[in-house]
Amino acid sequence: MSERFAKVRTLLAVYFAYMLEYRAEIVFWILGGLVPFFFMAAWSEAARQGYTAYTPLQYARYFFAVFIARQLSVVWANWTFSDWVRTGKLSFHLLQPLDPAWRIFADHVAERGVRLPLLLLIGLVFALLFPGALVWPGWTPLLLGLAASTLAFLLSFLVAYAVGLLSFWFEDATEIFELWYVLVLFFSGMLAPLSLYPEAVQRVLLWTPFPHLVYLPASYWSGLESPDPRGFAVLGAWTLAFFAAVRLLWWLGRRRYSAMGA
Amino acid sequence: MAAPAVLAEQLSKTFLVAEKDPGFAGTLRHFVRRRYRRIEAVRGVSFAIAPGEVVGFLGPNGAGKTTTLKMLTGLIQPTAGRARVLERDPYRREAALLRNLTLVMGNKQQLIWDLPVLDSLRVNAAVYEIPWDEAERRTAELAAMLEVEDVLRQPVRKLSLGQRMKAELLASLLHRPRVLFLDEPTLGLDVNAQLAVRRFLKAYRERYGATLLLTSHYMADIEALAERVIVIHEGRLLYDGWLRGLVERYAPFKEVRLELTAPVPAEAFARYGRVEEVRGPRVRLLVEKGALTAVVADLLGRFEVRDLAVDEPPLEEVIGRIFAEGAV
Repeated sequence: MSERFAKVRTLLAVYFAYMLEYRAEIVFWILGGLVPFFFMAAWSEAARQGYTAYTPLQYARYFFAVFIARQLSVVWANWTFSDWVRTGKLSFHLLQPLDPAWRIFADHVAERGVRLPLLLLIGLVFALLFPGALVWPGWTPLLLGLAASTLAFLLSFLVAYAVGLLSFWFEDATEIFELWYVLVLFFSGMLAPLSLYPEAVQRVLLWTPFPHLVYLPASYWSGLESPDPRGFAVLGAWTLAFFAAVRLLWWLGRRRYSAMGA
Repeated sequence: MAAPAVLAEQLSKTFLVAEKDPGFAGTLRHFVRRRYRRIEAVRGVSFAIAPGEVVGFLGPNGAGKTTTLKMLTGLIQPTAGRARVLERDPYRREAALLRNLTLVMGNKQQLIWDLPVLDSLRVNAAVYEIPWDEAERRTAELAAMLEVEDVLRQPVRKLSLGQRMKAELLASLLHRPRVLFLDEPTLGLDVNAQLAVRRFLKAYRERYGATLLLTSHYMADIEALAERVIVIHEGRLLYDGWLRGLVERYAPFKEVRLELTAPVPAEAFARYGRVEEVRGPRVRLLVEKGALTAVVADLLGRFEVRDLAVDEPPLEEVIGRIFAEGAV
């Protein structure tokens, strides 16, 4: 148990140091994720003209929560793993008694440690620009939102890792993950609160992972929409499904690995 | 008799490689109807290495050395045959085996590029479940052997190639593996660094009784470390035996080096054996071992010789000839 703890602690500490080396890159990455604020501007304008049910301040609150939910579930495991396979770096990780996925996972978790203070800073600026937009959601919604966000991160990580594993078959599979991102963009509540979508679409979306990746935590944090706790079960089921897919792809893919470049 | 530390039984590996013609038409054809070529990288190679043995693994580029090492370390699955290291199947990646083997690749690195060497060592210590105080002791010991104590706190990207290779060795051996696979460990290093790496490997092997399988294009590495060599060519095993045996069997001649008082045309030496080099008054001949005494006597009688030396031919030449002739 203590050895396992030492592994986790060391991996997190070293990858945190590694990510600190890339802090400037992380800032630009965060800036690249400001998309929800553009939608916020559009919906706030619509609200000012009286077309929607919410006020501009409520939209500001919702889209800030969306922004945070997105930031906490950003993943790049597809890119890292694909790079490992193409360059043969995977070989070194295969030689060690640790599943290579753990290194990439530690890399992601440690990166959150660098990203969080920057997010807090953005939150501060946002609160100054939009006074009254950010309100304390209460402990229970905050923690439930964090739980949903953690599950969303886990699922996103597994999907990205599964896409990375496809590199065993294709020269570069990383772009497949773009498809996932497009679906997240349209169906996760990033474009608009899901309550504004047609009811039939909402019913179908409930069974997909997308709305629960962003909309579920954002609903808890913003208090604007009523969160659907069934989202936890849907997220959990998809997480298990992708975990199984990852194991299968790993098992099949390793047979195809030629350790080129190494 | 102890079980072999490394065992290859009829080990084979075939790769399917997609082929594409150049140009737009080639790209279209490749897209519509992909063409593959089978490359038999390793064909039924068998050998056994006893615990504590040091074996040189020789072959020209593309002979299948690295592919064999990849199968023996479990990186790739053999198409046919069986690999065993410490009586386990390396492809299964059992922790008990992984804690006892390592692969050092001269052209690749495992160290984290942007961080000090010590950070990579900390990760390795945790991964191999070595308590940090013990890892520190081992680091100090290995760093002293490799003479890299002063670079451990520097980012890897700031190290010279030689320092990096030594740090790679340190990282690869922190868990004290019993079986070492070394693929060109001195590649690109200057003579001093090559020497240091050789000395270190020798010392490590003596101290821990490790088994080494080593590939290198520098015959000095092989000569310094290995008594036994395995030679493969085009994926097939050509020779497995003592290094000296290889020279005796495939180079049944001695090298005779002469320094004359004045230059003499090369044709004058053709009757004695193969004239390897004539540069001014310096002459290098390969003479059959059986005729050596008579040839030396004749040379001394016929020419004005300032100096004469008889030696084994350079191993590089022997190996080069075997590979060039392609059949042993």
